[in-house]
Amino acid sequence: MIRPALSVVVPLYNESECVAPLVNAVHRALADEREWELVLVDDGSSDDTARIAARIATSDERVRLVRLARNYGQTQAMQAGFDHARGDVVVSMDGDLQNDPEDIPRLLEKLDEGYDLVAGYRVRRQDRFVTRKVPSFVANRLIAWLTGVRVRDNGCSLKAYRRSMLEQLHLYSDMHRFIPALAAATAQASIVEVPVRHHPRTHGTSKYGLSRILKILADLLTIKMIASFRERPLLMFGLGALAAALLGGCFAASWLVIFATSTTPLQYDIAEAYVLPACSILWAALACYLLLLGLVGEEALQNSREAGYEDIGALAAGGIE
Amino acid sequence: MRSNALEFPAPDARAGTVPADRVGSATSEQRGRTPDVTLIMTVVERPETLDELYSEYALALRSAGYTFEVIITAEPFYRSLLAPLEAVAADGEPVRIIGPARTVGETALLRLGIEKSRGRIIVAVPAYRQVKPEAATELIAAVENGADLAVAWRWPRRDALINRVQNRALHLVTGRLAHSRLHDVACGLRAARGDVLREIPLYGDFARFLPLIALHRGYRVVEVPVAQHVNDLRGRLYRPGVYLRRLVDLLGLFFLLRFTEKPLRFFGLIGSVLALPGLIITAILGIERIAGHAIGHRPLLLLGVLLITLGIQAIALGLIGEMIVHFSINGRRSYRLFATAPAIGAAATSDAPPVVDDMLMEVEVAEPPRRRAD
Repeated sequence: MIRPALSVVVPLYNESECVAPLVNAVHRALADEREWELVLVDDGSSDDTARIAARIATSDERVRLVRLARNYGQTQAMQAGFDHARGDVVVSMDGDLQNDPEDIPRLLEKLDEGYDLVAGYRVRRQDRFVTRKVPSFVANRLIAWLTGVRVRDNGCSLKAYRRSMLEQLHLYSDMHRFIPALAAATAQASIVEVPVRHHPRTHGTSKYGLSRILKILADLLTIKMIASFRERPLLMFGLGALAAALLGGCFAASWLVIFATSTTPLQYDIAEAYVLPACSILWAALACYLLLLGLVGEEALQNSREAGYEDIGALAAGGIE
Repeated sequence: MRSNALEFPAPDARAGTVPADRVGSATSEQRGRTPDVTLIMTVVERPETLDELYSEYALALRSAGYTFEVIITAEPFYRSLLAPLEAVAADGEPVRIIGPARTVGETALLRLGIEKSRGRIIVAVPAYRQVKPEAATELIAAVENGADLAVAWRWPRRDALINRVQNRALHLVTGRLAHSRLHDVACGLRAARGDVLREIPLYGDFARFLPLIALHRGYRVVEVPVAQHVNDLRGRLYRPGVYLRRLVDLLGLFFLLRFTEKPLRFFGLIGSVLALPGLIITAILGIERIAGHAIGHRPLLLLGVLLITLGIQAIALGLIGEMIVHFSINGRRSYRLFATAPAIGAAATSDAPPVVDDMLMEVEVAEPPRRRAD
């Protein structure tokens, strides 16, 4: 088969009811496109997803299946799909039919204007208000504010990527929520947004919960660090050290002020004499500690430089196609 | 560590003196091609008579029709026990003895054995009897039937209550930490495809938790219930230091399995648990200060600042961890693809397309627990 121009990557986790409708919908939506392939990634589903997808993949030459050895999570599933996509343009999409494949051509048009990444944003989102929309709104605002990458809807999986950009993008941990920020920081991607449709869930159940908010907060801090300081970790920790040192200075100063202005002879009881200087010393110690950690960060950066950013190519062999 | 390894006298040195009738079939075959099975015996604790143990395993493997080699790796402390085995090796049996020059621990011994192994299937056995030697062939059969790693599960258990309590406690923890439903991680008898064991990085004290690590890496791990050996029934209690080390191992495993790619989630949790009370304390003191009370002499202020600085330290450590992960992730992939196990007994025909519909679906197959002992 000739190398397709377009690869649609769909991670699937326990979506047995959605696979067949999804494949049909993609066929309908891309009827006018010439060369395309659909890469289904089974993320270790415990239901019939892999079996159904494998059956479709054997009968439909446009569909390929990549199976992961266990359930790794959406990020790894997407990365696996990207690694096996052969097209110069890659589109990622949710497997639950909430995204509409009919939007893909619009994303492609936008990509042709010269962008590296086209992110869809869901208009009239069909999800629970309190548990889905509100946290998502707050998170998107936070991401935009922290990273400077203003994307309205980071949670929308429907995105189009230029292959050259994807090759510089490495997804790990739970980074699929921060693809635009990560792409801007590590692959210098130019990003644009396009409104896309969103359908209510008809099959299966939603696989997210409110509990992920804490995890997202930690990830946010990480993405901020990567976006702003990946080239200069010492600066980040140095700024932290500076703040700690200033606080320590405040404590020391207030202690001196008490000494200087005290009219009665100082009572050298323990509390009076030691609490403030001790606090000041704690902050000073923290400042030293942060500076040293910053040096560790520089060390890590230096090591990765010397390792030469070895890139894709050393992929694990195997899998079903 | 490899440079420290001393190979004890190879059988070839005295091969001329071996009586012709004592040369086992395995030996002659092994010279030409790779053996079916490499049996690695690590001698680290409660060793029993090693040559008897060897002949029991050899008998079991021979009667099941496997060609095999046996690698014995022993801590220097037990070197005196190896003399009978050297005699066995001199008799032409396929035994190799590897002894590092210093004490290296069970995991390093196992890794040493794996590095020297040539078999298509590797069976790791302890130097004492937990189960019958025939169990090894059952595990090998499980691996031949498509499992990547087969673990012996001593069931039904008939040993002292104290052992069962300890075992239950261990699996309560591993079940929680590693989301595993395995029943007998502590049983030392395991069989695996050779390439699987050569691929899994073994370090620290993680040999004991090999099945959990294999599960985490997406391999098919199968439990095979086998009858417990009489020698294993006696109750065992270890020194407190041993339990402490196990606890440290479990913590390390917990971090390895859950947080290696997201250290900030771990350190961030610790950091916020520390910093939050500190922030509350200082906030209360701040309100008092605004209300006009002096707080400069309050020891509570010191506590508040201490907690905040500790919390920031933990979070900063997590951030450094994230930075190291970010730099090291380039090109490395954290997923493994599902692959049908290559046929082991037959000649490798890996070019043939896999039969999609008949692929094994299970990640972990536990056989029904109520199988009586023979």
